[in-house]
Amino acid sequence: MIFDIGHLILLTALILSAFGILAGYLGGRWRNTRLIQSSFNAVYAVAVLVFAATVILWYGLLTDAFQLSYVWNHSERALSAFYKFSALWGGQAGSLLFWCMILSGYSAVVAISNRNRHQALMPYVNAMMLVSSLFFLTLLVFATDPFKRVGFVPPDGQGLNPLLQNFWMIIHPVMLYLGYVGMAVPFAFAVGALISKRLGNEWVHTVRRWTLIPWMFLSAGIIMGSQWAYMELGWGGYWAWDPVENASFLPWLTGTAFLHSIVIQEQRGILKVWNVVLIWLTYFLVILGTFTTRSGIIESVHSFARSDVGPYFLAYLIIILFGFLWLLFDRLPLLRGEHSIDSYTSREAAFLANNWLFAGIAFATLWGTFFPMFSEILTGDRISVAAPFFNKVNGPLFLLLLLLMGVAPLLGWRHTTLAAFRKQFTFPLIAGAIVGLLVFIFARSLYPVIGLSICGFVTATIVQEYVRGAMARRATTGENALVAVANLWRRNGRRYGGYIVHLGIVMIGVAVIGNEFYQQSLSVTLARGESATIGRYELVYNGMTSERQSNRIEFNALIDAFNLDSGRKVGAITPQRNIYDKTPDMPTSEVGLHMTPFEDVYVVLNGWESGGATATFTIYINPLTMWMWVGGIVLVLGTMIAAWPHPTQRRSETVRSLAYATGDD
Amino acid sequence: MHKNKPHVYFRTPLKLIFSLLLLCLLLVAPSAVDAQESGGESGAPAQVATVTPNDVNEIAKELWCPLCSGVRLDACELKACEQMRDMIAEQLAEGQGKQEIKDYFIAQYGPQVLGEPPLEGFNWLAWILPFAALIGGGVFVWRNTRRMVSASPKEAPATAQTVADDEYSQRLEEELKRYD
Amino acid sequence: MTELTGADPNVLTASEAEIAAQARRRSVRIWQSVFVLILLGFVGLLVARLIQTNQSEHRASGQAPPFTFTTFEGETISLADLQGKGVVLNFWASWCAPCRDEAALLEAMWRREKDNGIVFIGLDYLDQEPAAKAYLAEFDVTYPNGPDLQSAAARRYGIKGVPETFFIDPQGNIQQMVIGPIVSQAQMDAYLDKIRP
Repeated sequence: MIFDIGHLILLTALILSAFGILAGYLGGRWRNTRLIQSSFNAVYAVAVLVFAATVILWYGLLTDAFQLSYVWNHSERALSAFYKFSALWGGQAGSLLFWCMILSGYSAVVAISNRNRHQALMPYVNAMMLVSSLFFLTLLVFATDPFKRVGFVPPDGQGLNPLLQNFWMIIHPVMLYLGYVGMAVPFAFAVGALISKRLGNEWVHTVRRWTLIPWMFLSAGIIMGSQWAYMELGWGGYWAWDPVENASFLPWLTGTAFLHSIVIQEQRGILKVWNVVLIWLTYFLVILGTFTTRSGIIESVHSFARSDVGPYFLAYLIIILFGFLWLLFDRLPLLRGEHSIDSYTSREAAFLANNWLFAGIAFATLWGTFFPMFSEILTGDRISVAAPFFNKVNGPLFLLLLLLMGVAPLLGWRHTTLAAFRKQFTFPLIAGAIVGLLVFIFARSLYPVIGLSICGFVTATIVQEYVRGAMARRATTGENALVAVANLWRRNGRRYGGYIVHLGIVMIGVAVIGNEFYQQSLSVTLARGESATIGRYELVYNGMTSERQSNRIEFNALIDAFNLDSGRKVGAITPQRNIYDKTPDMPTSEVGLHMTPFEDVYVVLNGWESGGATATFTIYINPLTMWMWVGGIVLVLGTMIAAWPHPTQRRSETVRSLAYATGDD
Repeated sequence: MHKNKPHVYFRTPLKLIFSLLLLCLLLVAPSAVDAQESGGESGAPAQVATVTPNDVNEIAKELWCPLCSGVRLDACELKACEQMRDMIAEQLAEGQGKQEIKDYFIAQYGPQVLGEPPLEGFNWLAWILPFAALIGGGVFVWRNTRRMVSASPKEAPATAQTVADDEYSQRLEEELKRYD
Repeated sequence: MTELTGADPNVLTASEAEIAAQARRRSVRIWQSVFVLILLGFVGLLVARLIQTNQSEHRASGQAPPFTFTTFEGETISLADLQGKGVVLNFWASWCAPCRDEAALLEAMWRREKDNGIVFIGLDYLDQEPAAKAYLAEFDVTYPNGPDLQSAAARRYGIKGVPETFFIDPQGNIQQMVIGPIVSQAQMDAYLDKIRP
């Protein structure tokens, strides 16, 4: 019946995508319009079919079809409909299907939006997108079938992993997948450009936007994942440099490097090889990350249950690694730079330094993530590489990167004169020094002083750029400041949106520095009515309540927080424990939080005795953490400004593509 | 005249800033060291009498649960970790210092409790390679850039310094120049 | 290349340029090879790791890996010294709840079999000495027990958790591996029969 049809649909999609790859490749080679049209149609058909298969699995989850092994393992009757829906990405097979759906969705949107552009490129882009789809469909059909039967109809399911029953876990994976999977689009364009030898600037403009969009989702996904870890794992932090976190962070690093270096290629026609390599690395790291988290080769709290998808992933990994390199080496002579770099104090040089640092951080992260594995194979010793290693190695590099973020916009293209240098740097340097001095007065330790003064410096740079831009507009058009800023965004969103993204990063940096260096913690056992003091807060424990929910019991500790300075009550904090019926040995924690712009009061309920007569808590004061989430929102808004198509750009893009259509080849 | 003005104006603040920054560094560096030393001293002997959960967590924070992956010992909820924290409390009560306790944990459970590769043998590679790669990459980039920089004409045309993102910002830069 | 020489009137400069171009091509090729080799090494390690991961799931037979440990009483025991005897190697920990289900049976079997050439050994996995000693006292365990320092033996035997029990015959081969507690007397007898000298 319907679930057999689901399997059949996936099989059909698999065959269709194989056909579409051939049609795209041959159509592109022979410039056969009928074959090219077929490749477009195959993309649309695969998207529709995979979506249909996903809907069928959703139907199975929502109607408790426990005869399906996936539904049985990842759902239960008492689960709320919300989580039944999100159980699609709660396990291996379902999340691969979800991944495949997003991938085919991206392919379809790319195909539709470019159906009349990049004529020479699109057949290959379609083919490459379908290669990705083909791989995931192969997994779904041959390795982990989401429609596998149990053999009988169990009365109830095993339940969804309690850690995943959280609001952020519904939205975070969606964002992450949208970002992760979307990186297949720039890769497909790069492959298309290499195969078709159309390596001019034409594809670069399109690919920039198609990188920016997944990049935004990936950033949002990573931030939301941190939020989830912060609220749910209860260790007072948001980022543990866990292998799975690193797997999502690595493509972000190379993707960010690419978004910067592509600007130099557009401006100066250099770094063409490097840019293609960065796109390829990003896609490679996406597949590598998926492979490591799903094959069980690296242990992590987040990894999926071990399954036999490993060899498939490895084979695909090898194909994209060496297939692409072969293509790249063959096309190397076509990728010569057109200009050169004239001076070390130029914006291009700053972009180069940026790429150098991003590549360095990406390498260190990759190396640290895989080192325990290598070390175990080569020496037999088991070691762990966790936060201390990454903080020590990546911390200084991030600080340099932050500094560069402030310096780069102040440099001119090609060359910066001494006069311009002075004019540009004075205000930001003063601002940075003042911030540093203020921090120094309040807290004397080296790193935060340096870090926060750099944050001040970068912020001042951004403000200065905005003030200059707005004043220039006012001077010519006479519009007021707000309109001027709006027009800066509208007319030059890439630059001024980019600054907003930078501002978001600075906010995140401030939060990281605050947390890393000024966090306080306290472990206490309190009897009802007793209180504990931490920082400028007094927390009074008022006992426990419990509440029965559909599939769990919630235990809440009631705490009132008082500000010692004002003596006033600032709010109620309710840390929570959930004990799930299906997995009573895996209680989850929901931290109690009082959030202010200066600091979070963060309370974890560790345990309680005799019905709550006494309870044990770990209390953290996490300074400035709120800015991490604010920064995340600002970053997404900035990316939207940067990716928004604006009138002049659209015009110039058509002009450019016209020019290339006539001039190129 | 217009050009000379900035020279007079900006030299002093720049110097001032640099000396201020230098002053900050000078003031900060010793105080940071102080903080570390005093932290190390107050760690062990002062709390021999009563060991609070806080003292235990102070050390547990720097250790990683050997049974889990990537979970700090102070936040780990396994019974095994609870016992390990009890062990820390016991050793603190005996008057042992932070380093001794950490050494004990390494001897018992292996270097994976450190959360970072220990500085010995093959594990040196973990620390060295990222920096080696970074420096190697830096040298590579620098050498290539130097070839470009030295090959490019020294006297860049005056307008070239403000070749900007696109048509609009070029205009913007020109407007900016006019208003300086 | 010939085109280049033909097109350029100045033959000397052209050949110099050609030499330079050749040198550049050679260095590009070297860099390409280095890059490919590094990637091959990386992929090779991934393959090795994947094989290792899939293999370690069933290390249930073959030669028992050697190990040496010091008991809580201070006696040093090594597997090599126990050649000719059947060995029951049990990994356990005091924090492990299921271990408690089999502790009494293990001790009873040790008392029954110690004169029949079968040795019981308990290796304490990632545990703390005070808690471990309390556990041993609670079940009145008398067979040799000691901490598995740095989990050295646990890693060689590829255990996935505790309790896990290995039945090693007098020739030093693993005859049986049991994941989880052994609670059935019949099962225990069957396994013990496999390793009698």
